Amino acid sequence: MDETPAISLKNVTKRFPIPFRRKAVLAVDNLSLDVPVGQVYGLLGPNGSGKSTTFKVALGLVTPDSGDAFLFGKPSRDVASREEVGFLPENPYFHKFLTGAETLRFFCRLCGLSGAKLTSRVKDLLHLVGLDYAADRRLSGYSKGMLQRIGLAQALVQEPRIVILDEPTAGVDPAGSREIKNLIFQLKEDGKTVLLCSHLLTQVQEVCDRIGIMAAGRLVEEGALDDLIGLRDQIEIRVSGGQTELLQKIEALVTAEGGKVLSIGRPRTTLEDHFLEVTGALSERRSN
Amino acid sequence: MTASEPFNQAKDVTPHKRFSSGRILAIASNTLTELTRTKVFYFLFIFGLVLLGSSMLSNNFSFGEEFQMLKDVALGAIGIFSTLLAILSTAMLLPRDIEDRTLYTILAKPVPRHDYILGKLLGVFYLLFISIAVMSVLFIILLAHREGIRIGQAALMYENPDDLVAAQNQIRAAAFTPGLWAGLFLILLRACILAAVTLLLSSFATSNLFTIVMAFTVYLIGHIQSIARQYWLESGDLNAFQKVFLSITAIIFPDLQMFNIVDEVVVGRAVPWFLVIKVFGLGTMYILIYLGATLALFRSKEL
Repeated sequence: MDETPAISLKNVTKRFPIPFRRKAVLAVDNLSLDVPVGQVYGLLGPNGSGKSTTFKVALGLVTPDSGDAFLFGKPSRDVASREEVGFLPENPYFHKFLTGAETLRFFCRLCGLSGAKLTSRVKDLLHLVGLDYAADRRLSGYSKGMLQRIGLAQALVQEPRIVILDEPTAGVDPAGSREIKNLIFQLKEDGKTVLLCSHLLTQVQEVCDRIGIMAAGRLVEEGALDDLIGLRDQIEIRVSGGQTELLQKIEALVTAEGGKVLSIGRPRTTLEDHFLEVTGALSERRSN
Repeated sequence: MTASEPFNQAKDVTPHKRFSSGRILAIASNTLTELTRTKVFYFLFIFGLVLLGSSMLSNNFSFGEEFQMLKDVALGAIGIFSTLLAILSTAMLLPRDIEDRTLYTILAKPVPRHDYILGKLLGVFYLLFISIAVMSVLFIILLAHREGIRIGQAALMYENPDDLVAAQNQIRAAAFTPGLWAGLFLILLRACILAAVTLLLSSFATSNLFTIVMAFTVYLIGHIQSIARQYWLESGDLNAFQKVFLSITAIIFPDLQMFNIVDEVVVGRAVPWFLVIKVFGLGTMYILIYLGATLALFRSKEL
């Protein structure tokens, strides 16, 4: 089995000089990070903690002051390594004078696609992100969620093995957010490696296998999601159709075995699920 | 979104090349689309009005004076519009892509920075070529129209067929001189040099205003530097410092005085082809120097 991580950062440090001053802002401080192949990795941290700079170093857009970044073992400074990676930047602003289809055609041409392959790829991608109906509309008329989706489509044009998503659901409505979440699951199913950052921790928790937490340019905690937040000394049981007598019996049994029932209550659905059920937004959009 | 759609098909993309004409052309045509959709071609209406106005005034002159005035106004206007277009449209290209973060999405693809810069510059060259070609066609149509009118007037003035043929030949010779094409070509070359200078300036400038002001400064220095150089050379022996200064100035600032050949075209003088070729060679050298400097600066630019 290939043990080479999809993304690997080794002791990366990056400072940005402040113009006309001798000081520099330390954006990333001696960061080492491995993202295993096929996993969804969430990089978390407050604003200004160095997440976006870390992404740019991984993509070879920024040269670190020290340390190295690799994509499947190739230095990320090597332009050829970017064949393996698709990137959705935070708040993506594409050329607003282009239509959705023209945008994807442009990125396909940058990746060497042409002719019938290009046409069919553009069509597939528009369908994938549910924007077939807006293919010929200029991006200046796209909503925030539509821009985010066309951004995701452009990230996938060359069918990369790694997808880096910087705040993929920022400003997107719950239905769009769910669709992006489903797409991330689909990417994982297809064996892609996903590195993402988001301030929506509930969503991160739902999709990520592994989490890294950054603060002040350093990686302060890192590990598998279950290891980080799983409560190892507690067990949750959900019962359907139980009567009060049954609950009393369970409670007595637990107490007899030396345990303690911490809470009994009616579980809730998520607000997102309820919202989608009420608005029917997801099914409506699919029917489009 | 249809998450169940398969998108892990076999890869259709071609292997990465360090230099790809396909990528450069994609960026160039995208740049042309960008500039076209910013309604930059509206200035052609103004150019049309300038031509129309000058043709209305020209009825009072002899055919020789009329054609000279038309060429003067048209070539002057083409020169001014192409200069403005070259500087103003190039100045915003890089800063806009950086500000809108479209540069990240482009360079996050397997696109080397030199392909991006070459594509951007080629896109501006496309725009300049199209603009100057359209203005030239409008000008040629007007010139041909006025030539037709003058030939018609000559037919009424001369009864002797020999005199008429001689007069018509004179009119034709005054209207379309071979140097006209050379003049239009040199205007395009000058605009391309200015676009290359502006792209270089925008690669390290902190604002569009700085780029535009500096580009016009280069334009002015480009027009006066050869006069200053000539003055110093004629004034006597130069010391080593002055020689180095003159050499550096000559390399940094394009000698735009060499494009004054266009003035010869206006008065109908023949332009030797070797001179056009020499100016073309020098112009190409300037473009390559500025392009090389832009690539070197952009390669190490932090995004």
